[in-house]
Amino acid sequence: MDLYPLYLTIKVSFTATVFTVAFGLLLAWVMAKREFLGKAVLDIIIMQPLVIPPTVLGYYLLGAFGRLSFLGRFLEDVFGLQIVFTWKGAVIASFISSLPLFVKPARAALEGVGSDLEDAARLLGKTELQVIKDITLPLAWRGIAAGAVMAFARATGEFGATLMVAGNIPGLTQTLPIAIYDAVQAGDAQTANVLVGVITLFSFIVLYIAGRFTKGRF
Amino acid sequence: MDLGFDIKKSFGEFRIDVSLSLNDDLLVLFGPSGAGKTLILKMISGIVAPDEGYVTIGSEKVFDSKTGVARPIRERKIGYLFQDYALFPHMTVFENIAYGAGAKQGAVEAKVKELVSLTRLTGLEERYPRELSGGQKQRCALARTLASEPRVLLLDEPFSALDYQVREKLRADLLRIHDAYPITTILVTHDLEEAFMLGRRIAVINNGRIEQSGLREDVFYRPATRDVARFIGTRNIFTGTVAGVNEGQVIITNPDLGVIKAFMPGEGGPLIGAEVSFCIRPEEILVIRPDKVLDSKVQDNIIEGEIVSATGKGSTQVLFLKVGTGDTLIKVELPNFVVRKLSLAIGRLIRVSLKRENIWVINR
Repeated sequence: MDLYPLYLTIKVSFTATVFTVAFGLLLAWVMAKREFLGKAVLDIIIMQPLVIPPTVLGYYLLGAFGRLSFLGRFLEDVFGLQIVFTWKGAVIASFISSLPLFVKPARAALEGVGSDLEDAARLLGKTELQVIKDITLPLAWRGIAAGAVMAFARATGEFGATLMVAGNIPGLTQTLPIAIYDAVQAGDAQTANVLVGVITLFSFIVLYIAGRFTKGRF
Repeated sequence: MDLGFDIKKSFGEFRIDVSLSLNDDLLVLFGPSGAGKTLILKMISGIVAPDEGYVTIGSEKVFDSKTGVARPIRERKIGYLFQDYALFPHMTVFENIAYGAGAKQGAVEAKVKELVSLTRLTGLEERYPRELSGGQKQRCALARTLASEPRVLLLDEPFSALDYQVREKLRADLLRIHDAYPITTILVTHDLEEAFMLGRRIAVINNGRIEQSGLREDVFYRPATRDVARFIGTRNIFTGTVAGVNEGQVIITNPDLGVIKAFMPGEGGPLIGAEVSFCIRPEEILVIRPDKVLDSKVQDNIIEGEIVSATGKGSTQVLFLKVGTGDTLIKVELPNFVVRKLSLAIGRLIRVSLKRENIWVINR
């Protein structure tokens, strides 16, 4: 049996999660600790991938990164980067659709660290960086970690947007969920059963780990 | 270290406008909930920015709206004890205090040890905040604050979260620690007893303004306004018309109390015909034995009234006397043995004396 979809799914999900955590942590911090104009609108935009159909999301991404778009042409001409119909497209699709699943718990965790605790550290002469490093992150890391696990799980299950942006090219952009769809379409029940089993077991493990993280000590 | 400030801030209808200066002393900022006490501390420390004004520590302006100076919180070197202590839950007692000391390991250890023993936390160094009692948490937070060697200490209702029994001990602790580390301190409280016990100087705050500030005795026995008299528990506050003024005395008439003679409240006393308030603390009212014959000297300010309620309050009894034809009530607080000896009970008529020297006339 071809194990490439499994390998690709892990590669795409892992890369997407790295971006999700890096970018999402910044977003979560801004949403949790800062007040600014348009915060409510930004919140809706971040959360939107949770509710709009993945195909719609994929359509947007196709429009944004396709050859006809400014961004798509810019990336290709300047960096030689091709997004659409490559595994990088799958990364972007997974990144966008898993972002809200990370930002929501991460923001809640950061908000959960009361401003009194951070002010207490500032009053002791600590810089903003020290406050984040010594107080905020140590107290919020469980929520952040749980969010990262959820984001990774969401990325492994990404189907609609990935299909739109990266397509279904076996050995190149065919991830596990798409391979399952393919196998069913081709009447290959054996492959479908194995892949379905793998992904079911995987999601069970992920949810178990996420649950462990959220059972905090503090 | 001198601390001085003059700060203003508006929140919609609510407006804070206060100025004070103090040095090497413990000042109690006393007032009802919602008076703006915590906000004042937050503005001094830099957690909240005032709309205008200044904050000076020593000779350094840490905030000045005129010149645009606004030192960040971390540079102000202000110790702040939060109402709920804000101990870092992921650090032990030792780590919390050491984080406050924040220097090199060896020097820190000696310092933390000293503070641990000063705040009676010996043996608890390895505990986490959730394993401490309320009083231990409070002392740990105080030790952490002191470890940072603050120039000024701000204590926000430090005893309000504690049981009544431990409060008394911890108040004594605080005074002892303040003696060991004589840092300019502002303590915020809405508890009258606490204000009286801890503050040599007291500032009474209401509605964002300082109504009176001065020595404890001045504030408690010579309130400047009716509000201050009310907050410090004077309870017997009456109004009357000035009928005469002579030789440092003022004669006031009140429809229920009759003619009351009192001393003048300093220079610039009230004019004849003016409306004034006067007050007397419940524990300073004397009961006259029924059989006692009064000589002319003590015939002033004798009032007869009917006991309408009697409530035990530990070692004393609080009686309310209804006097005159209106609904004026006089609150009298007497030791239990006096109440027993004179068999004072509801329904009895008794005479009380409001001695001139115990009456305080409020000039405003």
